[in-house]
Amino acid sequence: MTEPTVAVRGLAKTFYDEARGEVRAVDGIDFDCRPGEIFGLLGANGAGKTTTLRMLATILRPTAGVARLMGRDVVEEPVAARRTLGFYSATTALYPRLTARETLEFFARVNLYPEEKVDARVDYLVGRFGIAEYVGARVEKLSTGMKQKVSIARTVAHDPPILIFDEPTVGLDVINALEMARVIRELRDEGKTIIFSTHIMSEAEKLCDRIAIIHNGKILASDTLDALRVATGRHYLEDIFVDYVGGVEEMPGFIRESGSAAE
Amino acid sequence: MPLSLINWRQVWVLYRRELRGALRERSIVVNSFLLPVFLYPVLLWLTFSAMVFVEGLSEGRVSRIVLLDLPAEHAELRDSLSAAQSVEVREDTVSVEQGVAWVLDGELDAVAEFLAPGPEAEALPDNFAVRISYDRAEERSRRASDRIESAVTGYRDRWLEREARDLRVSREQLEGFLIYRNNVATERQVGAFLLSLMVPLFVVIMVALGCFVPSIDTTAGERERSTWETLMSVSASRMSVVTSKYLYVATLGLAAGMLNVTAMVISIGAVLRPLAGELAEELQFRIPLLAVPVLLIGALALALFFAAAMMLLASFARKFKDGQAMITPVYWLALIPVFLSGTPELHLTPTLATVPIANVAVMMRDAINGRFDWLLIGESLLVQMVFVVLILWLARAVLRFEDYLLGSFDGSFWRFARQRLLARRSSDALPVE
Repeated sequence: MTEPTVAVRGLAKTFYDEARGEVRAVDGIDFDCRPGEIFGLLGANGAGKTTTLRMLATILRPTAGVARLMGRDVVEEPVAARRTLGFYSATTALYPRLTARETLEFFARVNLYPEEKVDARVDYLVGRFGIAEYVGARVEKLSTGMKQKVSIARTVAHDPPILIFDEPTVGLDVINALEMARVIRELRDEGKTIIFSTHIMSEAEKLCDRIAIIHNGKILASDTLDALRVATGRHYLEDIFVDYVGGVEEMPGFIRESGSAAE
Repeated sequence: MPLSLINWRQVWVLYRRELRGALRERSIVVNSFLLPVFLYPVLLWLTFSAMVFVEGLSEGRVSRIVLLDLPAEHAELRDSLSAAQSVEVREDTVSVEQGVAWVLDGELDAVAEFLAPGPEAEALPDNFAVRISYDRAEERSRRASDRIESAVTGYRDRWLEREARDLRVSREQLEGFLIYRNNVATERQVGAFLLSLMVPLFVVIMVALGCFVPSIDTTAGERERSTWETLMSVSASRMSVVTSKYLYVATLGLAAGMLNVTAMVISIGAVLRPLAGELAEELQFRIPLLAVPVLLIGALALALFFAAAMMLLASFARKFKDGQAMITPVYWLALIPVFLSGTPELHLTPTLATVPIANVAVMMRDAINGRFDWLLIGESLLVQMVFVVLILWLARAVLRFEDYLLGSFDGSFWRFARQRLLARRSSDALPVE
């Protein structure tokens, strides 16, 4: 088995909230991810997915525990850790006044991709993601689908070995969501380590090689879908999920297959 | 600032990105480039043109006056006033009180009342005194008073000449205590003086205005556009990111200041010429060569100061409009010392050099006037830079708080300072990356 590119041990994050006092958003979680794998973090809204991924991206600092990306500790070497990483989320927008090409050049350069290879890399990304038609247009003029393609391209602009997708399909229509899933699979097939968070069961079911069920900041189970089926005796991920978290009434943000939020 | 945490290659990439975006943003281009070049020269030109126009209108109006108790031996004065096209001498026989009432009603512009001379002036036969009653609140009345005074002065000169001739003495002997004015300032110095009254004030305003929009755009604007988290996830250290933003804002502030100085120096001659009359042809609106580096360094010190202060405050806003609201009072506060230091007689002193902004403004004014006290210039710049370092130190302290970085802190800088920097919860701070 290959060495893990992402290693997380006892990772925890406590916030101070003026109304609620100390809030333990992530409560000592462990997991590993390997190259060529899509590792899914499945949980309701507020389960701790985004906090976990932000800690991996060094945007948040863990209260306890260790996380290493390609052997780089996210606390001790945050800049080096970020260099191994491409981070995509619904809250990571693009610069509206740059063109698509300028955007890709900027992210390649700022992430220290070798200067002499930047042009070739941008040309490759433009071709690969099919953005040649509007590569000279400013981002602010692009449609949501076009922006999404540029956004994925900028995430991989510096060819990082690890990619984090935090609820990447939020706000996308069906066609664009399917396109996103196709690209993520392709990147996995190229050997990237992919961490993918979602609260949509069908997405996790179709896309993830391994799934971690996260609830109230804890990982309750982490394995392949088949192994989770065997462990619970349930076939559908939705049922498996409910089995672990103890009932939908505990999950205010839980989304059923139909996409409706549970009470 | 821990320079070892800064990767200058990344700073350059980030800086270029900021600048490229800014040059495509209309409000930034207008505030940092177009206003400094065009607004104040155009504004000054419009103001002075309006003044000249009003002056012209007033000049063209006929002054309606009455002369009361003019001695018969001075009838020539009446003739000269009547001959002037700009004066209408009314022949009404009125009392002084009636005349003043008409002046107040606007039916008359001035009353010239001829009086017997005081005891000290009685020695000269036919001497007289004049009391001019006019309404100072009315331009037309003021103008009538000036015209009477000018006519009386001219007539007195001619009369004195004649009297001196009759007495076989020179006019100087008759008049005594003559005053001769001799302006020893060169035309260039006079021009520099006029420049020094305006340039420092406009430079401070322009540098602050040049920093205003960029400082909000690069902080609150990033949050509003949701690009802040994107930026936090790139492999540049926080210090590199902040340094690039700081240099970007300071660059636009400096550019605004220097563009304004250049535009003012080039255009001020054309702007002031209509007012200066004959003098304008001789005035030279040039600044000493040595003042150029002083102006440049002064504008740079101001840009570094405004960029640091405005970014620090605006970075607490989540939206552009909130950022504007947070900075605007500081913008006006910063202008107070400049207005206070606007007195022409005020020069740089060791005490004044300790007042930020005002010290640089007066330093620039002295330099334009050719006054260079290098020790005080050094002190001014040192004090200004101490304030810059203090603000940057504060910014570094603030950067260590996660909720500030993520934009989840809800409040202004002042609230943050109270709750975090000064309170017990400073233990939440993280090491600076």
